[in-house]
Amino acid sequence: MTESALADQLRLLPDYLGHHLTLTLVALSSGIAVCLPLAILVTRVKSLQWPVLTVASVAQTIPGLALLALMVPLLGRIGFLPAFIALLLYSMLPILRNTVTGILGVAPDILEAAEGLGMTSRQRLFRVELPLAAPVIIAGIRTATVWVVGSATLSTPVGATSLGNYIFSGLQTQNSTAVLVGCGAAAVLAIVLDQLIRLGELAVAGRSRTKGWLAGAGLLVILFSTLILQIPTAKGSAAVVVGAKPFTEQYVLAEAISQRLTQAGLRVENRSSMGSMILFDALTAGHVDCYVDYSGTIWANVMKRKDLPPRADLLEQMKAWLQREHQVRVLGTLGFENNYGLAVPRRKAEALKLASIRDLTGHAPQMTIGADFEFFVRPEWAALREAYRLDFRERRTFDPSLMYAAAREGVVDVISAYTTDGRIIEYDLSVLADPLQALPPYDAVLVLSPAAARRAELVRALEVFDGIIDDGTMRAANKRVDVDGESPAQSARFLLKAVGLSSPPDATEGADS
Amino acid sequence: MIQIQQASKTYDRGRSFAVQGVDLEVGAGELLVLLGDSGCGKTTLLKMINRLVEPSRGRILVEDRDVSRVNPVALRRGIGYVFQGVGLFPHMTVAENVAVVPRLLNWEPAACRDRVDELLHLTGLSPRTHRDRKPDELSGGQRQRVGLARALAARPRIMLMDEPFGALDPITRDGLQREFKRLQQTLNLTVVMVTHDMTEALLLADRIAVMKQGVLMGTGTPRQILRNPSHPYIAALMETPRRQADQVESMLRSGGEGQ
Repeated sequence: MTESALADQLRLLPDYLGHHLTLTLVALSSGIAVCLPLAILVTRVKSLQWPVLTVASVAQTIPGLALLALMVPLLGRIGFLPAFIALLLYSMLPILRNTVTGILGVAPDILEAAEGLGMTSRQRLFRVELPLAAPVIIAGIRTATVWVVGSATLSTPVGATSLGNYIFSGLQTQNSTAVLVGCGAAAVLAIVLDQLIRLGELAVAGRSRTKGWLAGAGLLVILFSTLILQIPTAKGSAAVVVGAKPFTEQYVLAEAISQRLTQAGLRVENRSSMGSMILFDALTAGHVDCYVDYSGTIWANVMKRKDLPPRADLLEQMKAWLQREHQVRVLGTLGFENNYGLAVPRRKAEALKLASIRDLTGHAPQMTIGADFEFFVRPEWAALREAYRLDFRERRTFDPSLMYAAAREGVVDVISAYTTDGRIIEYDLSVLADPLQALPPYDAVLVLSPAAARRAELVRALEVFDGIIDDGTMRAANKRVDVDGESPAQSARFLLKAVGLSSPPDATEGADS
Repeated sequence: MIQIQQASKTYDRGRSFAVQGVDLEVGAGELLVLLGDSGCGKTTLLKMINRLVEPSRGRILVEDRDVSRVNPVALRRGIGYVFQGVGLFPHMTVAENVAVVPRLLNWEPAACRDRVDELLHLTGLSPRTHRDRKPDELSGGQRQRVGLARALAARPRIMLMDEPFGALDPITRDGLQREFKRLQQTLNLTVVMVTHDMTEALLLADRIAVMKQGVLMGTGTPRQILRNPSHPYIAALMETPRRQADQVESMLRSGGEGQ
């Protein structure tokens, strides 16, 4: 980890932190605004207690990433809204439960005294119950704060920028500096917010002006800096939103596209580390303007086709279908294919005399196969199993960045590799042939949302990509990130240069990555 | 001042009664003690007076007005109440506790402050040392005094007291009882006090009302209750203080002969 690698990452911090803070503060304050009245209602109407707390508990048991991902189809949107709703749900249980516990925990003789002295039920609530329950309620809010700050890092895959951008892209590109910066920033933020709330509580309990001012000033600084950090993204509305799926090649291509657009004078926002289907839906809904997809992926997963026409036919049919069904424009093929292929370490392939997937059929029952999160539920896997009668002893899913090392180290015998991945060569793996053509071709295609397709300056800036990147160039660009430790932005500059395109000066590169 | 007419309270639609058909009058400036075992309904009866408990049957008049027609919040603010176990608000200082009702009645802050100091003096506490303390920094006796000051804050003419001296050691209790009696006479307070302590009842009361299982067994001055009990239960109840007094007296007498 070099100094410049750290400086590279820190340049992204204001943007990520600003989004993260906004998301966290809005979700938390909404959580408090919703939960306090709800909890008070629950203490007054006892029959509501069980259903309300149960619903909140159930929301809590859903893993954070799943809850966030669930919000996308439910709301039909990506970005801030699904992340906000999921985090709001996440903040509810501790605030609700502690408020209810705190209020119900007030001793009955105190309540009787309040009533007997002539307080109305409202006065009893504000003068006796809430002040006495305050320490428990604030403990709940502090728990919620820490949870929400942590969970907000998971909103990157649903298209909301957060400190999670560091973590997700850092894990994919094996950039430990990025991961550490992301985790560290989130931890510091959680601690600062937690301590500010604690300070505010102490100020009120101890009636200390000094502590009150400190807590107030701290909160103001945070609110103010959130506003400042948000200003650059708040201006104008015509930013081009560039999407990327969660693996290296996608980050590099998204960077290359962003650099071209920036150079053409367009403002760019990035939504990286999004799942395949979420990204496609976001494109058709216009929440993402452009990204790179693969013909075979759209063919099998979006169009649900099981037949396999020749490569060129498939491309033509796909273009026509996307235009007809979704008004999505395929701007062009980039020139390379990134196929799914089954790969095994070369030494094992030679020992077992494996040349094609057909040779694998007999060995499969003694073998373990590793794949990315999507592969085993994709139609391509079903087609592959059926065509070659593959029946592996065990299946394991991996983060794509770890899958290749798992094959090299013998943790698994076979992996579902991406054929343009630089690690195939680096780790001495061999890709088995697919003589039955069970797997479709995966030509990289640049797709534009209906709105983006109407923007002439955008189309002009991107149509230069048509057919200029060959397999070798893409593999080299990927290898620079995965093996040599370059950032996707650096690799994108290499890629643009290699295909004869210029990239903007260094200072602006990756400003939004 | 207070008239209780055929008051009954049932929690199970008439199968059993916590209070049953009680008729009772309390005159202005009178200190009436409701005496009986725990569970006899005396606290329930007390709480009916300021509508902490609503009677199932019968009615209660306070200063000639039927309490069921009076807004309960206004009613309670006009009647002092000393709770069993004091019930001070733990998050408030002594001064804030005492000023609760004046504040509910929107008194001026200055008037509240003056009243707090006046009451702390009256109940034998020093405003300067005690005003800003929290209840958990006080002794049991001091807490009881604050409870008393709080009940007196808005100058009520009627006070309801539920075992006000219950949890105190005998010496503190004796001192507070006598101070309270003096205070009650000076301020001409009408007081209904609940206790199960026979000696306390005999020493403080202008009149005692004995209850058993929700029913009023009889009323009378301490002297009447002691000398001519109207019911065998009352006679049995008075047996204990009477025997204790006899024993103490005989000890005093024999001690005197010894000298």
